[in-house]
Amino acid sequence: MTSTQHRTTVWPWIVMAVAGLHTFVASMTVSPDVVQGQLSRIMYVHVPAAWLAYLAFGVTMFASAMYLWKKDFRWDRRALASAEIGVLFTALAIGLGMIWAKPTWGVWWTWDARLTLTSIMFFVYLGYLALRRTTDNLDVRAARSAIFGVLAVVQVPLVHFSVIWWRTLHQPPTLLNPEGPAMDTAMVITLLIAVASFTVIYVAMMFKRIELARLEDEVLVADQTSSGPVAGQAVTAPGLTKGS
Amino acid sequence: MTDAGATPGFFAQVMTIVRRDLLRERRSGEVLWVTLPFGAIALLLVPLAIGTDAPTLQRIGPGMFWVIVMLFGVLIAIRQTSAETQAQRDMVALTGLDPAAIFVGRSTASFLLLVVFQTVLGAVTIVLYNVTPTGWAVLPVVLLLAASGLALLGTLAASIVSTGRSATALVPLLVAPLSVPLLLGATQALEAIRLGRSSLVWVLLMATVGLLLAVAGILSARPLQETA
Amino acid sequence: MSGSTTLVDLEKVSVRAGAVRILEDVSLTVHPGDAVGVFGANGAGKTTLLRLIATLQPPAGGRCSVFGADMYAADRFDIRRRIGYIGHTPGLYPELTLLENLAFVADAHGLPESEARRALELVGLSGAADRRTDHSSHGMQRRTEFARVLMTGPDLLLLDEPHSALDADAVDLVDELVHRTVERGGAAVLVSHDRDRVNSLATRTHEIKDGTLL
Repeated sequence: MTSTQHRTTVWPWIVMAVAGLHTFVASMTVSPDVVQGQLSRIMYVHVPAAWLAYLAFGVTMFASAMYLWKKDFRWDRRALASAEIGVLFTALAIGLGMIWAKPTWGVWWTWDARLTLTSIMFFVYLGYLALRRTTDNLDVRAARSAIFGVLAVVQVPLVHFSVIWWRTLHQPPTLLNPEGPAMDTAMVITLLIAVASFTVIYVAMMFKRIELARLEDEVLVADQTSSGPVAGQAVTAPGLTKGS
Repeated sequence: MTDAGATPGFFAQVMTIVRRDLLRERRSGEVLWVTLPFGAIALLLVPLAIGTDAPTLQRIGPGMFWVIVMLFGVLIAIRQTSAETQAQRDMVALTGLDPAAIFVGRSTASFLLLVVFQTVLGAVTIVLYNVTPTGWAVLPVVLLLAASGLALLGTLAASIVSTGRSATALVPLLVAPLSVPLLLGATQALEAIRLGRSSLVWVLLMATVGLLLAVAGILSARPLQETA
Repeated sequence: MSGSTTLVDLEKVSVRAGAVRILEDVSLTVHPGDAVGVFGANGAGKTTLLRLIATLQPPAGGRCSVFGADMYAADRFDIRRRIGYIGHTPGLYPELTLLENLAFVADAHGLPESEARRALELVGLSGAADRRTDHSSHGMQRRTEFARVLMTGPDLLLLDEPHSALDADAVDLVDELVHRTVERGGAAVLVSHDRDRVNSLATRTHEIKDGTLL
């Protein structure tokens, strides 16, 4: 395996640490919700995580379309990076939602339209990442995952509508509006700070993950070329969510 | 100078693929003797696990039918993908058949097999769960739309995964989340009829899904064949 | 013959499989009436060269056209029905009979099933037409592939190791296929490591080594 020279960018780590600390301090110092108490602090991670889940999904799909158009591997790596970060934050949003729901509603899970949609999206992401592991041929991998990405763009809005219609026809959505009265201004500001910080964290993670993806591709190329022609099966694909 | 006949039109090419796929199914019997019994036994296992009292079974019967059709129906759409060899793919490519016609042909054959699958499992559900079908006007439309949507989705996912590792396990993972509009469309259309409401919006949803999948499949057929 | 008089025109073509370079700077021109033999050791790139010409393997660089059609263009499948390619493993459906396999190809070419029957007769398999492919010997499957090419009458014949695992009668079949195609103004490319047999057929020969045509 050839060791390729490269400079590790350090700033994304610093950005992530600062933004993370920022969110932590803000969400811990704001006064707790009158009704929910300390539990309301989960919201400062849950809401931004859910926002990133959707943002990352959108970026993956956009990057897939761009790859099909430009045939530039940088778009393929952006799609991959965003998908992996998306899986992480989707899982985080769902997990925190469950932790919050159990003491609040008495159940881990409820068939809210948004919750159902987010969980379906989680599996679309997993499918996308699993599809990427089925071949080590960079061209084939990029083209096929991009086509699936675009297919998901076409289908996810229909999943979205079907789930929303399904819920609104059978269950009044007010049942799932836990906030009740409008939020305190300080809480709204803290939430906005958290969303902004998380977006910055997402951008920093994207940089690191794209950098890593480029190195992974280089290693794959080096592996395949150094030992002469290697059958596709001989090289095992890297794990699903390493590195991010 | 080729002594071959005239290049067949699009529809004739589609029919070539349909005939091939149905003949292969007739010879191998994979759907009839493997997937169908598997679906039927699944319908038999559910009451064993959750209880056999009549009202419960009657209530969950239609839902179970659709879940099993969606999950096991995918296996019908991908039945030949994993076993296909490079030499077979080369042979088909060199027949000069339009990849879009191949996609439509494969989807059509899977659609026909899925209709048979649905019919048999529907009868099994009626018998085992004591379900009375409702909406005789809408029911066939819903069944046909579900079969076509699933056939298109499965064929498309199968051609995306194609030659990759663990294709048979991966396609159902890709298809299941994206089949949600079909599942909800089918169950809710029939539920709406039971409650005396209009099922139009659900039928339209299913038709839209089918249409979009057909367009996506036809447009991606050539690029997918080229990156095989 | 329609189009240009050059059937295959490769100029400094390279082929990659993922990151692996399989062919490098390959230049080859095939005109009507040519029977080109290509020799090389295992893994030299013989099969890839043949699949490239058959439009089954996209080029990664260089100029490349078959029947005057640019191989980078999207609709290269239009010329595919004029190509007869026999790879080293038979591309048949095991659960179908030999006749049914041929009938599928006939159907795709707009030919009646009787053509498939006639082709099986020509390769001496009329008695085995209704035998399932997975119940047929490897030799029979190879013959069925020859029958397919006889039936479609291609302008460009591409044979990968055509003489391997064949009895004496079938070897004559290969010769006949090549002669027929060339006589009708087509051309043939044969890759092999069996020099003697191919030398007697070929109008010129090339050597392929480490992905480069010499």
